[in-house]
Amino acid sequence: MIEVNSLIKSYGDKRALKGISFQVREGEIFGFLGPNGAGKTTTLRILTGQLKADSGEAKIMDLDVMKGAKELHSHIGVVPEETNLYERLTIGQNLDLFCRLYGCDIKQTDYYLERIGMLKEKNTQVKKLSKGMKQKVLLVRALLHSPKILFLDEPTSGLDPASADTIHRILRELNDQGITILLTSHNMEEVDKLCNRVAFLNQGEIVEMGSPEALKLDHSNRRIKVLIDDGHGLASKELDMDSKESARLLSEWMTEGKVRSVHSCEPTLAEIFVKVTGREFA
Amino acid sequence: MTLSFKRIGAILIKEAHDFKTNINILIMYLIPILLAYIYDNFIPGMPRGFALSFGILFLVVMVGMYVPSMMIAEEKEKKTLEVLLLSPANSVEVFIGKGLLTFISIIVSFIILIAMFGGVDPDQMAVILVGGILTAVFCIQVGIIVGLLSKNQMATGVVGTPVYMALLLVPMLGSMGSPTLEKIAKVFPTYYYNDMLYRALNEFEGNHTLLDMIPELGILLGSIAVAFVLLLLVYRRRGLG
Repeated sequence: MIEVNSLIKSYGDKRALKGISFQVREGEIFGFLGPNGAGKTTTLRILTGQLKADSGEAKIMDLDVMKGAKELHSHIGVVPEETNLYERLTIGQNLDLFCRLYGCDIKQTDYYLERIGMLKEKNTQVKKLSKGMKQKVLLVRALLHSPKILFLDEPTSGLDPASADTIHRILRELNDQGITILLTSHNMEEVDKLCNRVAFLNQGEIVEMGSPEALKLDHSNRRIKVLIDDGHGLASKELDMDSKESARLLSEWMTEGKVRSVHSCEPTLAEIFVKVTGREFA
Repeated sequence: MTLSFKRIGAILIKEAHDFKTNINILIMYLIPILLAYIYDNFIPGMPRGFALSFGILFLVVMVGMYVPSMMIAEEKEKKTLEVLLLSPANSVEVFIGKGLLTFISIIVSFIILIAMFGGVDPDQMAVILVGGILTAVFCIQVGIIVGLLSKNQMATGVVGTPVYMALLLVPMLGSMGSPTLEKIAKVFPTYYYNDMLYRALNEFEGNHTLLDMIPELGILLGSIAVAFVLLLLVYRRRGLG
């Protein structure tokens, strides 16, 4: 669906992308993770035809992004990081504009507003909405023309947990309907929860890529944490997964009914990022 | 690049909705009407033709430049232009949509101004309307250039004020009798529209028809072509971002 090879982009002397390559498969939710300035937004802007790369190749649905950005725009929906809606206009007026520009049925507006539970606010001026509501309107705006791929730049940045959860739910529903999603985020939990595959971007380079589960298993120290009740209270024990002694101990505790919980000790995505890049995720 | 009337219409409708709630821009339309009213009613001995011609010149020149420059600068500042260009709309359609709204609103205000002064005779109307249309097209293009050169709405003041002053004040000063100022003023196309207004609306100037104004109309048409080329150059160099 999306194929990127050796993409390079510089701003003056600063190289923002140092030849990144990756593929996104149809129906996938792919996450770009990285701290501010890692190159996430630059990648997204190149893929959506808003920015020209210095060199490299980027194809979306076999269309060369560098050559036919306009042709591409009918297949993609973009949710930018900034809430760039027309603030003086109502939600309905904002969405009607894009319906007319795309030549799609104006009823689509009501359909999507209903889906996100905002049909009643259709005639409300955008400037009177909360950030979470504006973010939902941005999402609807990107969906009006039924795109096959959705690009989202930090979709839940600055949102309260409830609004972020709503956005996540909508994204999962859209993905279930077959929309391929590429999102950038610096929220590890969000990416862990939503994405089929993630790429860690650090200083313009992809330093790690794979499914969140696979990454966590690859970087696991293969230890488990066992909480046991030894008769004097709860005690936490850490065992090596690959040792016979651990198996014997665990079996013994289980036979004696001492085990209260068992957890494997996979690292979080944030811990993997620090391990791979040697820098804090901020 | 293909142009779609549907997309231009969509942008025009959006601009019309936005226009109704944009106080900054609405005030600009009130100024020429208010100034013409004050000149006509509160300044003793002021010829009616002068008050009307000042109102029309301010409307066509100042509003013509200010409104599109603010519209474009605001879209750049609030990054709404980015998403507009991610849709099938292209930059020319955006310019035409914004320019058209400015043009239509100038014509409506123009009619209000004329009506306020009890109307004009058909010969006068032909001169001030045709000249006004050409001057408005020129000024709207200049306004778009100012918008393209400005990063945000605040910057339109820095970039635009010298241009607005040159195109509005210099032609007016040039027609006040100083040969040096007149020489300078003749560089600006708005001087010729000011001259057309003066000749058409001043009762001491006799009855002038559109046919007497062919050289001025030619200069205005040429100015439109020059402004268009300049607009293309600025757009190619600066783009919309």
